[in-house]
Amino acid sequence: MNAPLLEVRDLNKAFGNVVTAKNLNFILARGVLTSVIGPNGAGKSTLINILTGFIPPDSGEILFQGRSITDEPIARRVRQGLCRSFQVANVFGHLSLFENIAIPVLAVYRKAANFLRSVARDDEVRREVDKILERIGLLSQSHVPASALSHGDRRLLEVGIALAAKPKLLFLDEPTAGMNPVERTRILQNIRDLSAEGEVTFVIVEHDMDVVFSLSERVIVLYRGHIIGDGTPEQVKTNPQVREVYLGEEVA
Amino acid sequence: MNRHWKYLIAALVLAVLIAIGYFSGRFVLYITMKIMILSIFAMGYNILFGRTGLLSFGHAAFYGTGAYGVALCSLHVHTHPILGILAGIVAAALLALIIGFFCVRHTEIYFAMLTLAFGMMVFSLMWNLRDITGGDDGLSGIVRGSISLGFWKISLMKDSQFYYLVLFFFALTVFLVDRMYRSPFGLVLAGIRENHVRTEFSGLGVKRYRLAAFVVSGAFAGLAGALGLLLESNVTPFSAHWSHSANPVLVSLMGGLQTFTGPIVGSVVFVLLREFIQRFTQNWMLWFGLILLAIILGFRGGIVGSTSQLLKKFAK
Repeated sequence: MNAPLLEVRDLNKAFGNVVTAKNLNFILARGVLTSVIGPNGAGKSTLINILTGFIPPDSGEILFQGRSITDEPIARRVRQGLCRSFQVANVFGHLSLFENIAIPVLAVYRKAANFLRSVARDDEVRREVDKILERIGLLSQSHVPASALSHGDRRLLEVGIALAAKPKLLFLDEPTAGMNPVERTRILQNIRDLSAEGEVTFVIVEHDMDVVFSLSERVIVLYRGHIIGDGTPEQVKTNPQVREVYLGEEVA
Repeated sequence: MNRHWKYLIAALVLAVLIAIGYFSGRFVLYITMKIMILSIFAMGYNILFGRTGLLSFGHAAFYGTGAYGVALCSLHVHTHPILGILAGIVAAALLALIIGFFCVRHTEIYFAMLTLAFGMMVFSLMWNLRDITGGDDGLSGIVRGSISLGFWKISLMKDSQFYYLVLFFFALTVFLVDRMYRSPFGLVLAGIRENHVRTEFSGLGVKRYRLAAFVVSGAFAGLAGALGLLLESNVTPFSAHWSHSANPVLVSLMGGLQTFTGPIVGSVVFVLLREFIQRFTQNWMLWFGLILLAIILGFRGGIVGSTSQLLKKFAK
């Protein structure tokens, strides 16, 4: 297991004239909580989409734990431990919270193909789902349909579904967008705790600089498909190119 | 609804169906068998339609395949009904596997159009392969063989006897579909319907599950077709015509897409209404269209769904 968690080689992606990735090369190490920042249109969401298999790159290679996954479909990457959450809450609307979390849990436990046993009577699954719901603070609403949740709760559920897949590398796309301070604190505490436990490596796309600088060990700055800054929060904060393009002079 | 109430009602319905078998005349037996067979077709179909969210216009092809499967087995191999029914189911499931493989790669509109296209192709094949299928004359005079359990022979020649075989498969279908809906597989199908992207990102290959749902619904269609053949003793290519494919769609919609009993209730209404209306008017399709309109515009939950919503409101 000496290979880095994720290695990206010469990644390129353009939509017509808009370049969202240009000869991107970088490595993500296990256990380093990383933030990816950059102005809108810099290519952050596209990068997540490419790395997780949602859209194919124009060229380049992606290696996950030493193995090339460039041609692998989404579900296979998730099963190997590469997962993501969505910027807009992407949940199973008419299903209950329990069912929302149960789906990735069943996948992880390899029970999803079973067509004769009852989900409700599966204690192992129930315990795991309850544990995750408890973690994100939604256990009391276990039987509520996801569409009935408040916006902030839905974003909590969103992250919960991603975590339920037991990823080794988890991309969070603006996890705190639209959350009130209580929810934000909760989710950030969860990320901190889980990161400290060492099972999941988080890579967070964020616009909220407080979140970025308080949480991250490493910050990558994207601008028009290029990495213009990469280092500790301090290094990035003082990087003149980054300040010019993104942070502005007010952030000191 | 409490689970114990559900089991009670199921037991009651079973008792009623058994009683119908004992006491009814030929016509009532025939109608009830038609209802049960259509229910099997619709329940299986709704796994794909209501649960997984895929609208197929070609499932009559599997119904027809089930019918021809039994017929050909009976004529060329053995008249044992169970063997014939199994042959029909396997043939339908295999055809569903082949057709489904091409269709599940596409979603929504293209999926529906592809199923329609394949359905037409199957109909055409049945029409043209005269030597095998009898062409537009179809196959007729299929005898219902008897079932022998050791030294005990059960004849199925009379409708009143064949009724119990149909009832058996109806009960079996209800049991299996119920288990499937409660299972992990059933939950994944619901997830695919609600959000197939998120299902993929949960580590589940959506195409594979869609194909499985397609094959399962095709198998049940084959079972229904096989029983239908044994009921009528003849089959023509028209049992696979795409207009026949609309039946399980209509029935499921009428009963309630997201309910378990919807397809059954829908089948009851469909068969009874058609019998009733046909005595008074040629325009039974007009009335059906109106009923469908009412359901889509006002009662999306179908008969069962809307009723249970109403009951819940009264309970509060």
